[in-house]
Amino acid sequence: MNDESQIKLQAYLDGELPAGEAAEVRQWLARDAEARALLAELQNTNAALAGHEAEVKLPESREFFWSKIEREIGRQSAAEAPARKSFWARWGWRGLVPAGGFAAVCLLALHLANPGAASAEFVPELELASDDMGAYTYRNQEDGLTMIWLYDRTGEAKSGQPALMASSTP
Amino acid sequence: MKTDASQSSANDEQLVAAARQGDMGAFEELVARHRDKIYARAFSMMRNEDEAVDLSQEAWVKSWQRLNQFQGESSFGTWVTRIVINLCLDQLRKRKRQRTESIEEMDEESGGVERQMPAVTVNPTERLERGELRKKIDAALGHLSHEHRTVLVLHEFEEMEYKEIARTMECSIGTVMSRLFYARRKMAALLADLKTEELR
Repeated sequence: MNDESQIKLQAYLDGELPAGEAAEVRQWLARDAEARALLAELQNTNAALAGHEAEVKLPESREFFWSKIEREIGRQSAAEAPARKSFWARWGWRGLVPAGGFAAVCLLALHLANPGAASAEFVPELELASDDMGAYTYRNQEDGLTMIWLYDRTGEAKSGQPALMASSTP
Repeated sequence: MKTDASQSSANDEQLVAAARQGDMGAFEELVARHRDKIYARAFSMMRNEDEAVDLSQEAWVKSWQRLNQFQGESSFGTWVTRIVINLCLDQLRKRKRQRTESIEEMDEESGGVERQMPAVTVNPTERLERGELRKKIDAALGHLSHEHRTVLVLHEFEEMEYKEIARTMECSIGTVMSRLFYARRKMAALLADLKTEELR
């Protein structure tokens, strides 16, 4: 009996053959004692295995096993949390820089459109929407010059380079 | 540890729903219910107690993380069993990559001598009592290579079809059929040959 025939006999036993091929195998079995003997062996092995898997129990107490799982879940959650924060901080920062810059430019435009307001009493105030962003403001009263530096507080821009600078002169 | 009576009486679906809402007590109850089954599957594939404990623990952590992916198409126990099977297969693949394949292994893969041996005509397990038969089967499984043991476990104990086994083991259906045939023939020979003393 060749390999292909043996495998086909097994597929017949497992119900994996199409109806036509299964009928052919039945005819073959009727005339071949060797095939019948092999089929009987395969059936005996299947019957022995069915429902006789060894009963194995976890060799750890419920409390101990659960404590390890709980600890690992906690550890992985803690490891994921900063990653999520940095993602939002990064994208939040990218969004806030232009927004903050736009706000600064608007303030300057307002300042230029109302030159009368450029008195010593008028001190423009810039409110930043993120704790991750800082600003320095320089104002020269004599020259009527105002300069604003925006910078990243999170450490991504520790080089000291301002993320955006706006200036205004009368 | 929580020993909430309502959790003990809840069915798996209710516990899964609660666990999805972040209820660790519900998840702990699920672990308690299925932990032996998951460990047993890992042990049947790895044949090593420590590895089986570690992999079953990893399967539970993964199942917690993927709870939202559980669609209820199979039972919760079956779903976690599939996770542990995949973890075991990954581990076995890693191990295989690390070792040099020997001529002996190549011979075993294709079936070697056993493939051509005459059929075992007498049923070797006929007169064995249930406990003894279980021990004998377990001992015989331990003599198979992990590829042959895995295909047998997936087909006979997990009741997977050829196609599903091929997908799980990332091989062709032809390879599955060949490995299964060899594994069965080897099991028949082992069950006939293993003496009772070898089971103790």
